[in-house]
Amino acid sequence: MRTIPFVTALLLPLTAMAQDRGPILDDVTQSHILPRFAQLAEATQQLKAAAEAECAADAPGLRDAYHAAFDDWISASHLRFGPTETGDRAFAIAFWPDTKGFTPKALSQLIAADTGLDDPDAFAQTSIAGRGFFALEQMLYDPAFAATGEAEQRCAVIRAITTDINRNADAIAEDWQSYALVLTQPGADSPYRSDEEALQELFKALSAGLQFTSETRLGRPLGTFDRPRPNRAEARRSGRALRHVELSLVALRDLAARLSVDHPDIATSLDAGFNKAITRAQKLEDPVLAGVATPQGRLRVEALQQEINDLRAIVATELGPTLGISAGFNSLDGD
Amino acid sequence: MTTRRHFLAGLAAATLTPVRGWSAAGAPDFLAAGLFPDGFYRLAGLDAGGTILFSLPLPGRGHAAAAHPHRTLAVAFARRPGTFAQVIDCTSGTVTRQLHAPEGRHFYGHGVFTADGDQFFTTENDYEAGTGVIGVWDTATFTRIGEFSSGGIGPHDMRLMPDGDTLVIANGGIETHPDTGRSKLNIPTMQPRLTYLDLSGAVLEHVELPQALHKNSIRHLAVRADGLVGFAMQWQGDLTEHPPLLGLHRRGEAPRLLTAPEADQSTLQGYAGSIAFAAGGDAIAITCPRGDALHLFDVDRGTLIAAHALTDVCGLGTGPDGLIFTTGTGQFGTAQGRRAKTLSALDCQWDNHLIPIRAFG
Repeated sequence: MRTIPFVTALLLPLTAMAQDRGPILDDVTQSHILPRFAQLAEATQQLKAAAEAECAADAPGLRDAYHAAFDDWISASHLRFGPTETGDRAFAIAFWPDTKGFTPKALSQLIAADTGLDDPDAFAQTSIAGRGFFALEQMLYDPAFAATGEAEQRCAVIRAITTDINRNADAIAEDWQSYALVLTQPGADSPYRSDEEALQELFKALSAGLQFTSETRLGRPLGTFDRPRPNRAEARRSGRALRHVELSLVALRDLAARLSVDHPDIATSLDAGFNKAITRAQKLEDPVLAGVATPQGRLRVEALQQEINDLRAIVATELGPTLGISAGFNSLDGD
Repeated sequence: MTTRRHFLAGLAAATLTPVRGWSAAGAPDFLAAGLFPDGFYRLAGLDAGGTILFSLPLPGRGHAAAAHPHRTLAVAFARRPGTFAQVIDCTSGTVTRQLHAPEGRHFYGHGVFTADGDQFFTTENDYEAGTGVIGVWDTATFTRIGEFSSGGIGPHDMRLMPDGDTLVIANGGIETHPDTGRSKLNIPTMQPRLTYLDLSGAVLEHVELPQALHKNSIRHLAVRADGLVGFAMQWQGDLTEHPPLLGLHRRGEAPRLLTAPEADQSTLQGYAGSIAFAAGGDAIAITCPRGDALHLFDVDRGTLIAAHALTDVCGLGTGPDGLIFTTGTGQFGTAQGRRAKTLSALDCQWDNHLIPIRAFG
């Protein structure tokens, strides 16, 4: 029994040294990360322009631009390190879950306020709960806000939010131009001291992304059998809950494929697992996951959640060790 | 294993006042939970040399335990979000009671007895409200006799202050809900705090960190005989930042944050698992299982004394000399100043915490 950890300890660094991690870091950065944030900056620019053109909550151009930009955020939202975390930009773009109902409170205050909405710097200092896509969703789709305050004031709030989303998306995309260098060239001038550390950051993005989709995007509406919580589904007001599950899986499939490129057998099982889960999500035809409240619908959502958990197991037990992720008893516990 | 080492450790332990009652259980110095080769999670009683005096099976992975001040009772907690804890008679090795969290609550994995041992307090999550609660239990029968607010969200570790009248609580600030497993629901708005309550739950003092550190979850505690509180933190922000993971606080004063030089601090991955004062109280340490390190600091100067490299180290307690640590690879050892040595290496995986039964130091 004692020899097993000893042998593992000897072999891991050798395996790590035997492989050049540079190509994977370059590939993920150039082909997975940078295009996503460039696309988000572009889509949020169009969202801002749409709100400038017409800011009624039911304006088709505004709603289309909202969906398009939100899609691009969800497709990038697993990349939670570096530029997205500076100044809590990612949280300001998407404040969810909102367990204490901060967003409607913040929006009511913004609608009641007379100043500051046309000053992007001042707006950026307001609560993150009243900013970002989830605040915008309530302004566009929640009947409670369709009639709150004057139309002009509601319009100003919508424009302030879209401008703020675009500012944050631009800032992330711009910062990534330099952060791409520190991620792909670890060392003394980088927060990552080695290729392994940079790779571990990407691995964490994959595993945390899967965890969030399984435990939070699906787990929150699932609740318990006795007490399902369909009203806790993500972005249900605009009918996007299932779409977020699908978009996140598609994005994570791409990242998983790039991280497993040196291990074809693992890549194959990951790809099969992702395809199975994505197909199942597409077949659910339940955009707001309302089915969690019925026994039959619930089974189908639970089956999807199980498939994502199976993927998490492959990622943790098969992919992780190839990237030098320690599987310590306490280091993985997180308590 | 060297006999001499055990002999010396035994000598050191013998000079301490025995704890009434506990000698009947083979006089363990520490309790620790772990995963054993037979596949069972067990709660073990150990002497200061790292020899297992007894071990009792647990129903699942353990987290921490609390030892009764004089009866040979320990309460063992499952890792969160567990809804029950076991009262174990360490003399007979039997489970004498179970504590069940009330409907809508779960335990966080830590608890503390009053000085006379008549009451027991548990940190709990009121997960629909998303607020922290302290449960109060009568230890004659381990029935629940009351509860009060923990003064924050996500209370984790809790200690009794030396005055015997004050609880200090690590309100970690992180909201979780059993429906979403261990997922953290409120990182952007989290506000950890150290809270002092009297035994009826009245708030005596809240201590918060500067806003730039609001994602530094205060999780584990150590208390020195003069009331100085050490707290260990877990960083929930961007891991390219390396904030302090150890703080010191004295009632009525501002907290002091201790950090190692950047080259060492940057290896810790923002995570401290346990904290304890060394014997004598002049030094304090945190264990960092993600950075495979034990960092020992001088309390007065606030400077790093030594960074010990120890794979998957997490359990930590005050020892007869210096500190005792345990690791997820089965090691049990001492750290004193710049020296660290293994006293026993067992074929088990020690869990997060090491619980001293008697007050060393």
